[in-house]
Amino acid sequence: MRKDFLAVRGIRKSFGTVEVLHGVDLDLAAGTITALLGENGAGKSTFVRILAGDHRPDDGSISVDGKMVSFHNVGNARDAGIRLIAQEIADAPTLTVAENIVLGAWPTRNGLLDRHAMHRMAREALDLLGADLPLTANVSNLRLGERQIIEIARATIGASKCIIFDEATAALSDAEARKLFILIRRLAVRGAAILYITHRLDEVFALADRVCVLRDGRVSLDRPTLEVSQEQVIEAMVGRAVAHARHSPGQPSSTAKPVLEAESLGSDAFSNISFALRPGEILGMYGKVGSGVQELSASLVGARTFDKGRLLIDGKPTHFRHPAEAIAASIGHLPADRAAEGLLRTMTLAENLSAPSWPRLARYGMLSGEKLRSAYGRWHRELRVKADPSGGQTITELSGGNQQKVLLGRWLEAGSRILVLTEPTRGVDVGARQEIYRVLTELAAKGHAIIIASSDYEDINAVASRALVLVRGQTIAEIPHARISTETLTEAAGGGIHA
Amino acid sequence: MHDKLQSETVAAMTDFDANRGKTSVLRRTPESAALLAFLLAEIVFFSLSSPYFLTWGNWVNVITALSITGVLAAGGTMLLIAGQFDLSVGSGVAFVALVMALTVNSIGIVPASGLALLVGIGIGMINGFLVTKIGVNALITTLGTLAIFRGLTQSIGGGKNIPISNFDWAIWRPFLNIPLSALVFVVMAIIVGIVLKRTVFGRSIYAIGANENAARLVGIKTKRVVFQSFLLSGAFIGLGGLMSASQLGSTSGTTGLGLELAVVTAVILGGTSLKGGTGTMFGTVIGLLIVGVLNNGLTLMNINSAWQQAATGFLLIVAVSFDQLRQRLVGRR
Repeated sequence: MRKDFLAVRGIRKSFGTVEVLHGVDLDLAAGTITALLGENGAGKSTFVRILAGDHRPDDGSISVDGKMVSFHNVGNARDAGIRLIAQEIADAPTLTVAENIVLGAWPTRNGLLDRHAMHRMAREALDLLGADLPLTANVSNLRLGERQIIEIARATIGASKCIIFDEATAALSDAEARKLFILIRRLAVRGAAILYITHRLDEVFALADRVCVLRDGRVSLDRPTLEVSQEQVIEAMVGRAVAHARHSPGQPSSTAKPVLEAESLGSDAFSNISFALRPGEILGMYGKVGSGVQELSASLVGARTFDKGRLLIDGKPTHFRHPAEAIAASIGHLPADRAAEGLLRTMTLAENLSAPSWPRLARYGMLSGEKLRSAYGRWHRELRVKADPSGGQTITELSGGNQQKVLLGRWLEAGSRILVLTEPTRGVDVGARQEIYRVLTELAAKGHAIIIASSDYEDINAVASRALVLVRGQTIAEIPHARISTETLTEAAGGGIHA
Repeated sequence: MHDKLQSETVAAMTDFDANRGKTSVLRRTPESAALLAFLLAEIVFFSLSSPYFLTWGNWVNVITALSITGVLAAGGTMLLIAGQFDLSVGSGVAFVALVMALTVNSIGIVPASGLALLVGIGIGMINGFLVTKIGVNALITTLGTLAIFRGLTQSIGGGKNIPISNFDWAIWRPFLNIPLSALVFVVMAIIVGIVLKRTVFGRSIYAIGANENAARLVGIKTKRVVFQSFLLSGAFIGLGGLMSASQLGSTSGTTGLGLELAVVTAVILGGTSLKGGTGTMFGTVIGLLIVGVLNNGLTLMNINSAWQQAATGFLLIVAVSFDQLRQRLVGRR
């Protein structure tokens, strides 16, 4: 006998003339975990914001505990017991753990803050989650995973009956993600209805009782997790079967000279890293957040420094002090955090793609718009960017996958022979992900030397010619092409989510 | 097979994007359109209230009155697009004019002008050094240099009005009865407009304002570009100081008081975002004209200059509020 806490029927929502949700139905039962999947643009975030009272639907109904409700603002949804835990952590870093947990629901006595009650409430919320954090510590001193626990603790304050998690593990390490799953299950056991939004299929099967997929503003799948396969879920997301076959990167000829060699590289984040990269090769570097993979890749491109060992480009020892020097040495780089380090946010696609090439495209320091447009035109088709072919759109108008293609185009236009790609598919949907893999394999076949530094084993699995696995700054395994698989990678990195 | 499927999705997605493009007319409408409309409304209003307003002589007055602010705003626009500020321009102008006044009698007009210009560039160099090498925030750096150079001007000049003779180039009218200072402003605005739009240096300024981290990672020497922008702002301070000395034929401790605010007002009114990354010299010129026309029109209507100041402040807030509302309408998706 299912007891539905939240029943959503026929939700429609338009922005301007474009209808984003075409009648969405969803039931959330108390004590169950429902996963909500969908590609970028499928309408997930709009739908969730409607549930959280942030948007108002144009049509359709929401009922809570059998009673019809209508949310005018976030406060209404909170009062009805619905809480949203957003993707980005939204805490007050200069306040303490306890203050952050009761944020917005301060207990008072005679109009003054009741510190005693505040600490009691915070302690109860943390106990509920089985978490132990120092109540008087400053939040800014905590790790990301601990700050997320505070966000969850805050959501449990008051009568919360439905908690929505929006891509909760995006910034977490594997161990932290495992802890988060335990917390979520605990909340469900206590009777909360959980809606868990994610990109990652493995999380769905590890966590959810029910899986619901949105595609183009409609529900394309809504069934118990036990009754569906991974392939069915993917097909429901993209509307077709996606070939998940491994791309086969051309093996580099062993006689080719390495273009990039690391000899016992070391810094505060990694130590004693050695490898050689040859043209035509895609070298995977797999490691979770904190493993040193991101720092290592940043050190290869002059975005960070290393203090031990040697870096050789074409056999010559090099020490980049500025990314410009790495670019001059024919190294292109996709940074881990696309929004913070990659996108020139207010600028056009053409400007973004051509940026490293400006000095080359200019004559006497003068740069014409025509040159930038034709630079963009050279790569628009090849990379299959879904955007206006003129390149005149602002880059923030594009989806994550298309932004990433434009940033990859940067280095093709710049003529980089070595590509160091950090988290190349983060925030990229399933379809675009496959296209990026295809482009990378083609580039390797043309003789580019590519490093993929990623915390997502699928990246490594799909395209790497061989893989280094890093744990706590050390190379703990080198896996040849034939042996790369989800199992070998996660096992080497110390067990995956399923463990 | 696989590829065919993919190109079909591509086609479908492209259609989707094209449709979405049509709905974002508001997003594509340049900010300057609203500003131009406002300027036009001002012009219509004042031409109805004063018959003298639309005469050639009055327009020359409007441009001449804003020429010093305008030259400084050319530097201010570059800096603000890069996400930087220069609040030291007003006291810098006073200090440069003082250097001119104190040296012109002993070393002659040309060497004194050259020295004054170098002093302006020196002020820019100090600001640029503190911001890019020491890492002090630009607002604080230039707030500090604002106070320092105002204080130096007043203590060295002794608070007196110091005359500068035989230095009246700024009020020569070489053609069409336009004073040289107005022509200097027009030329500088055109040069900065071209630099921003059409040079690697200009694009780098936008890139730094859009995302300094990303700009560095695409190989832009961000600190060097910011330093050079402060140097240019310093050169404009030097030029503004010479224009001021020449226009007034003297200088005192209060020369250039409040210029920094007039500059920031015009630049922001002209559509440059405080967050950097957007803005144009054309927009700044419109911003300058909106303020200049307002002041001129109110003067013609015999309204006290204290009211003009209040009106300018009011206008700035209205314009920026309007822009915020516009962005909220566009951003709501």
